[in-house]
Formats: sequence, structure tokens, C-alpha cells
Amino acid sequence: MDEVRAAFAIARKDIRNVSRYRFVVASQVFTPLYQGVLPALLFGASFAVAGHVVGLEKSIGTTDLAGFIFLGGVMSGLVATAFWSMAMSIRNEMETGTLEPTWLTPTSREAIVIGRALGGLFWFAFSQVAIFAIGIAFFGLRFRPEIVLAAPAVALAVVAMIGVAYLLAATVLLIKEANVFIDSTNFLFATASGVAFPVTLLPGVLQPIAYALPTTYAMDLLRQAGLGTRPLFDPRLEYAALVLTTAIAYPIGLWAYRRADARIRRLGTISQY
Amino acid sequence: MNRTYLAGDLRALGAAGLMSWRQIRRYPALLFGTVFWPVLLPAVWVLMGQAYSGGGDPDALNAFATRAGTTGVTLFVFVGFLMYMWLSALLWGPGTALRQEQIRGSLEAVFLSPVSRLVPLFGPTLTNLLFIVADLIVMGIAVWLLFGVVLPLQGVLLAVAITIVGVPAMYAMGALFGAGVLRFGEIGPAVQFTRGGLSMLCGITFPIAMLPDWAQTSAAAMPPTHIVDAMRNALLKSAGPGDLVPAAASLIGLAFVFGGLAVVVFRWLEASARRSGMLGRY
Repeated sequence: MDEVRAAFAIARKDIRNVSRYRFVVASQVFTPLYQGVLPALLFGASFAVAGHVVGLEKSIGTTDLAGFIFLGGVMSGLVATAFWSMAMSIRNEMETGTLEPTWLTPTSREAIVIGRALGGLFWFAFSQVAIFAIGIAFFGLRFRPEIVLAAPAVALAVVAMIGVAYLLAATVLLIKEANVFIDSTNFLFATASGVAFPVTLLPGVLQPIAYALPTTYAMDLLRQAGLGTRPLFDPRLEYAALVLTTAIAYPIGLWAYRRADARIRRLGTISQY
Repeated sequence: MNRTYLAGDLRALGAAGLMSWRQIRRYPALLFGTVFWPVLLPAVWVLMGQAYSGGGDPDALNAFATRAGTTGVTLFVFVGFLMYMWLSALLWGPGTALRQEQIRGSLEAVFLSPVSRLVPLFGPTLTNLLFIVADLIVMGIAVWLLFGVVLPLQGVLLAVAITIVGVPAMYAMGALFGAGVLRFGEIGPAVQFTRGGLSMLCGITFPIAMLPDWAQTSAAAMPPTHIVDAMRNALLKSAGPGDLVPAAASLIGLAFVFGGLAVVVFRWLEASARRSGMLGRY
């Protein structure tokens, strides 16, 4: 129970910290819009024939360009939350010199990541609600009611991404200056999950990597439910794959994080940055 | 006397460029990004283009051609992202140079030295010119190896020529935005927003014909629009040197406009920073 309270306290602290910087809050909504959604919408619309993106229908079974892009943004945002809010924030503590005192508190190391996950997920949910509201108001964004059926897939993806965040946090603890690593792997992870285009378009050698990621299945299930896109595999098989990859990602991430924790304490490098 | 000052300023400019080069050499891991982003960012957009065109559906590609003037989606995207990389380097280069000095606490000392203000503004960013050339080479190789598109030699030479003509206008724009550091300190989010806005306005990732009329008119006043358009004409439509003269003339004209504006704004903000003590704060 103490660990749960500690996790919520960390989340509250993170939420309060971010909310003090109003430009940062606004940029969480507007940066994805002007850097990702709008250019992608205009690029996609340039292939439209009589107002219909016929090519997209050929690729995934729907002409709903806005839905395709906005739902891609959901998974992309979730991946970014795991990489930057959950894992990279350890680096921020290193730079401000507060990681060592944090490590000395009687809170478990796992609760530190879980707390950051809760804080990150709060801002993720906030930005998605705002982005969807803008999409509905200005870009004709509409979903099928069946989209609610994808909620378990998104929930499983959240759990899987916490596992991935443990793994990334372990890496941050060991390599310290992780900005380039986090930036590039975040991009690769999101791309391989099919947020921007179907994973079937990836070169053959990269497709096995895409199918090893839980977010690939969550992305596909979300688009199937919300837009009626053609599935990669049978949806039941995709759910099974999502459960399996989550069941693998979480314990592996946790194991790596505990090993990294033990190593930095043994080597005495926790205060280094 | 003036010649002595000029020689001293040029020596200081070279020294600032050398300082920047030494710093880059000390952190080789950061060079990873010079290969990673110029290859993977456009590659993802090319694959997005394949998804939106249904893997090359003739109707979808013809629709694209009516808006972009070409069916060569791959090269269209790569040229656009070449400009995106330059926008990152040139638009934010002078501002980054000033901001870094400000954060390190050395801006005040630099401004007390008897050199032209052009030295701290442009000296440390001279190395960006190397990255411009590196981006061109890396992307040319990537588009050939990953997508089998071979760049025409004349197109490449003209692309380099239009780049050289466009550099003063781009640097002038960069100086205009960079001057904001003297007044506001942290202007990273504002520059991010400007870069995002310019990316949309200048036809970097999609044809400019997709924009409303007022936006297309505004785009004509931006140097990146002319550079991207001229490069696409050279590489995709076999335009000759004569075809690129109007774009070159526009870029030279814009260099004077933005340059003049940058000088006025910089002087005004520097005077304001001296009065408010902003040079020593961050």
C-alpha cells in the first residue's frame, strides 16, 4: 500500500511540475498536430481522387485518412510516453542531481518507474482528448462505435510499454547520456509498430521485428475496431500475440531494470552523469 | 584601419568556426544523427506515400502529379526533407550559438570582445555548411540504395548551385530568429514552432498546392520554398540552369530583405539586452 501511495505521489509531482510550464502543456497538444498530423493529412490528401484516398483503401481497406492518422497518433503518443516520460525522466533526475537522494528513499525502485508511468499516462490522456476534440471539430474525425472494443488492446499495450520503459530505464541508468539513444529508438519503435503506415510495407527483414512488438498488434486492433481496416491476422490471434508479447516484455524489462540497479549500486556510479 | 578590423574579424570568424569543429569532434556519438535522421525520416514518409497511393495505384499517383507536378514521390519527399534538415541547422544555428554562450555564461564576455557581432552569430555555425553537404551526400546515397532512384548529375550540380545561392537568405532568416535569444533567452519552443510552420508552408512534405491561397502567397516570401522548388525542378523535371534563374533571383532578393531586417532587429535587441542585463542572464 505504501508503494502505491509513493507511486501516486511521484505521479502528482510530475503532473504538477509539467503544469507549471504552460507552453510545455500547450506544446503537448500542438506539436503532434503541426509536426505529424497536419503534414500527414495534407500529404495523404494529395493522393486523393475526387476526395477519396483510394490508395489507402487498397492498402488497408478504408479511405478514412483522418482516422488512420489520428489513431496512429494514439499509439505513437503511448510509445513516446514510455520512452520520454517513464524512462528518460531518470536522466533528468541525474542531471538535476536528485537521483541519488531518490534512490536513498525506502520506496522500491519499481515504484519510481510506475509513478512516472502514471504521471506520463495522465498527460498522454490529456493530450489525446484535446487532439481528438480538435480532430472532430476541424478534420471530420469520426470513429465507429466499436472502437470501445479496442480498449483491452490499448490497456494491454500500456502494460507492455511499462515493461519496455523498465528496459529503457535500465539502459539510461547504465549509459547515462541517453538522449540520442532514446530519440532514435523511440522513432524506430513507433515506426515498426505501424503508426505511420502498415507494417506490411516494411522491408522483409524488418517485419519480424514489427511482429515481435506488442504495439503492432494493439495498433492494428485499434484501427480495425475504430475504422474497420483490414486486419493483419485474425483478431483473436492478434489478441493472443498481444498478450504473449506483453507477458514477455514486462518481466524482461523488470529483470533488466533490477540488474541495472544492482550494477550501479555495486559500481557506485549512481551519482555520476 | 577598416582593413585591419576586417582582417581581425575574419580571423575571429575562422577561430569561432574552428572552436565549433573541435567541439563536434569531441562528441562523435552526436554525429550518429547526421546519418540516422536524413535517411530514416524521409524513408518513413516514402513508405507513407506508398500506403496512401495503394502501392503505386495509377489513379492515386496521377492525382499526386496534378498537385505536385511529378509522380516521383520518393525524390519529392527526399528533397523536402533535405530542406527540413537545413532548416534545423541554418534556421536554428545562429540562435543555438548565442544560446549556448548564454547558458555557459560566456555571452557577456564574447560581446565585450572588439569583434563584429557577425562573429558570435555566424562563426560557430560555419560547421553547419559541412552538414549541409553531408546531408546532400547521405540522402543521395540513401535514395539510391534504399529506393533505387539514381540522381541525375546535372540535377545534383544544379541542386548544389541553388543551395549555395540560397545560403545567405537562409542564414539571414536564422539570424533574424536567433536575435530573439538576446531578448527572451530560451526561444527553443518558438523556433520549434517556426520550423514546424515553415515545414508546412514551404511544401516540404506535401505539394504546396494543397495549401489555401493565402498560405501559398505567404510561402512565396520564404526562402525555403524557392530552394525546394528549384531543387525539385532540377532533380525531377530536368530543369536547366536558365529555368532556375527566377528562383535564384528571388533568393538573392530575399537575402537582402531578411538580412536588412536581421541587422535592424539584432541591433535593437542587443541594445535592449544591454539595458536589461539579459546578456548575463539565462
